[in-house]
Amino acid sequence: MAETILKLEKITKVYGNGVVANRDVNIEFKKGEIHSIVGENGAGKSTLMKIIFGIEEPSSGTVEYKGKPANFHGSMEAIKAGIGMVHQHFMLIPSFSVVDNIILGDEPVKGLFIDKASAVKKTQELSDKYNFELNVNDLVSTLSVAKRQKVEILKTLYRDAELIILDEPTSVLTPQETQELFEQLRGFTKQGHTIIFISHKLDEVKQISDRITVLRNGVSKGTYNNDELTMAQLTNLIIDRDLENDMDEFKTHKDFGGKNALEVRNIVMKHHSKNILDDISFAVKKGEILGVAGVDGNGQVDLVKTIVGLEQVEYSGDVIINGEKVNDKTVKERRNMGMAYIPEDRMVDGISGTLPISDNMVSTYYDRDDVSKGALLDNKAISRISDELIEKFAVKAKNNAVAVGSLSGGNVQKVVVAREHNTIPNLMIAEQPTHGIDIGSAELVHHKLIELRNEGAGVLLVSADLNEVIDISDRIIVMFEGHIAGYFPDANNIDETELGMYMLGVKRQTPEEIGGALND
Amino acid sequence: MTDKKAKKLDLSITNETVFSFVKTFIAILIALAITFVVLCVVSKNPVNAFITILTGALRKTRYIGLVLERTVPYTFAGLACGLLFKAGFFNLGAEGIFVMSGLIISIVAINPITTSPILHPLIAIVCGALVGGVLMLIPAYFKAKFNANELVISLMLNSIYVAIATYVVRNYFLSQSTSLIATPTFLETATIGYIIDKYHVSIMFILMLIAVIGLQFVLKKTKFGYQVRLAGTNPNFAEYSGIDSFKLAMKTNFIAGMLAGIGSAAQILTQASNFQPSTTVTNIGFTGSLLAMLGRNNPIGILVSTFFIKYLEQGTSVLYYNDTSVPSEIIAIVQGVVVLLVSSQYFLKKFREKKLLQEGLNEHE
Repeated sequence: MAETILKLEKITKVYGNGVVANRDVNIEFKKGEIHSIVGENGAGKSTLMKIIFGIEEPSSGTVEYKGKPANFHGSMEAIKAGIGMVHQHFMLIPSFSVVDNIILGDEPVKGLFIDKASAVKKTQELSDKYNFELNVNDLVSTLSVAKRQKVEILKTLYRDAELIILDEPTSVLTPQETQELFEQLRGFTKQGHTIIFISHKLDEVKQISDRITVLRNGVSKGTYNNDELTMAQLTNLIIDRDLENDMDEFKTHKDFGGKNALEVRNIVMKHHSKNILDDISFAVKKGEILGVAGVDGNGQVDLVKTIVGLEQVEYSGDVIINGEKVNDKTVKERRNMGMAYIPEDRMVDGISGTLPISDNMVSTYYDRDDVSKGALLDNKAISRISDELIEKFAVKAKNNAVAVGSLSGGNVQKVVVAREHNTIPNLMIAEQPTHGIDIGSAELVHHKLIELRNEGAGVLLVSADLNEVIDISDRIIVMFEGHIAGYFPDANNIDETELGMYMLGVKRQTPEEIGGALND
Repeated sequence: MTDKKAKKLDLSITNETVFSFVKTFIAILIALAITFVVLCVVSKNPVNAFITILTGALRKTRYIGLVLERTVPYTFAGLACGLLFKAGFFNLGAEGIFVMSGLIISIVAINPITTSPILHPLIAIVCGALVGGVLMLIPAYFKAKFNANELVISLMLNSIYVAIATYVVRNYFLSQSTSLIATPTFLETATIGYIIDKYHVSIMFILMLIAVIGLQFVLKKTKFGYQVRLAGTNPNFAEYSGIDSFKLAMKTNFIAGMLAGIGSAAQILTQASNFQPSTTVTNIGFTGSLLAMLGRNNPIGILVSTFFIKYLEQGTSVLYYNDTSVPSEIIAIVQGVVVLLVSSQYFLKKFREKKLLQEGLNEHE
């Protein structure tokens, strides 16, 4: 039996807003293992990691690291002790080189100055030792997402981390890149490193883990050896109910006259003479879900901004909603035409965290007749509608006066989706609608999108999650470096690897084939 | 069932509103305790001095009148700042607006444009309000159009306005009967008299109450108030939701400027006999921002805090008549400590978290 490197005992954490994130959690991490923590959003995974890494202090309970009590105050102490963390959102400075990012905060010095030469040498050696294939003098801004993640990992190794926490590391990677990461992780464990792996993707967890701990509602449901758990058992432990996988059975097929809810024609957008969007054309028909697959950062953000009317950069081409050109129309005018929008970054754009749920439930239609009278708001109606939506979308909250910011990620997203759904749209723009939220919430979001589709709305689904795109879309386009690399008229007949080729730019279809995205 | 549950008044400390009340109350107690400690050091009779500060304002009806009268311009300043803060603008331009509106009001007040004692002040107030509203649009425009820092612009404008007002008074409206840079004495018809003489209650006081209640209503119940809430707490979200942030910025700043302008009229037409650009309305706008913080940008909160501060100020000046060993600035200690504690995010946070912890644990049992 390998020795225990980290031991959590009866960890309880209650946040300032009364949310109990963890409750009497006991976990032992063994040296040299890959230990996955799984659970729905709001199950308490992130909080637990923050406690290990010293960002949060537990309300009660003890952390023992290498046999000694270790309630770290701040991440600096955790790093010194040999714990490294790779956050879901990278903590890198794009305009700095790889080596500068790595030594930041822990610079080798010679006299008064940074000893750049030895820093470069040390980091390059480290990179080569682990086969990272990085040139440490490159600027981070020139690196791909997968390479940036390697920089993050290298950063922890540079600080002699023995225990590395990876928070949702695969959410930004293609299938191929994920496999590469997994091989590297296995290499680390051979050298004695311990990996804590946090993910929503169960197939990856099954593939990579030695042991798995399941959290549900802040409580540990036990730690299991990977080989003694089947996928079905694991799923049941996490969500405690049967999961419906096949979304197709929810789809009904009615004829909505083949009209287009949205048309995008020849969008070209330049930034510093680089084409961010390169002649994008497609249509979303009424009663269909058009999926836009692609690795993050291939123009999807600007495309969506252009469609919803929040884009600041000049572009050429046309955006047409319900047959009417909307290039010069404001967000409000587009919304009045029946457009709804689930934004990628819900905390930044989708809610106001300090305001109550009720205020957040009506922001995009507060001037509609059922919630206002003339210049006045109908606060009673808003409260009633909020309660209805909270129930219908299973938002976990005490009442509608609770600040949205105090809810878990999945519940925040439910608030956003509930609101946009209640605008009764005929065009729904859903941008990364289930990014970083738990399976249960994601399933509900998918059902609601399909429900809109069944009722005749056009849905544009932009997502980096390949499974999501394949599961619920009717047709799919793939974006790569600002252009449409591939078009798939039938989402039911694609395999993931094939799609991955287009996402990585390995394959590209002819303009005629891609033309189907607009004209089919 | 659920309806009843929701309507039940939640008076536990974990309720946000109750908590902020308790927090303010405790902050005041601490501030008073500190004041007492200071009094023990500087005064021969600290207990007596302390009681005078707390009750001095009640000793004569005239004192009460002074408190009520002085509350008016400061409340208007507080409302202007509170509205701006609530909408997410850290615009401290109210100070300069008081000066510029004050200049216009004074020009109206020294000219015999009408003989009606009702029309004359009314014209002055309207002019002051309009000038205030329009001038407040300058920092708002630069903020909304070019994302320039409204704090910097408004502070610079404050100095510029004092200079402009001084220039105009010195060159065009200088009084011959004094060596100060001041306008001639206001005409009888322009000054505002009291409705209730005993307590110095004028029409401006009534106007202030209307403004407080009106603003409270607007912020809580109207679409405009909702837009202010959204843009003030998360401008991205407001933009995303389709709110025209430029229009909203213009509207909010215009209203705030008008409030400051009316406040300036309240100061000038009831409490001054002429206008001196560098003294008559000095510091009212800045104090307004403190009062807004103290009242947590809530109109009624601002009114109550202003009254409270003016009440203690009166007590302090009563004390000063009797015991000159106590500097009248001591009131600034109370004000400072209370603002500091109320605006501190961490004050009493641990205590509240403990309560929430219990509540959270109980719920999960």
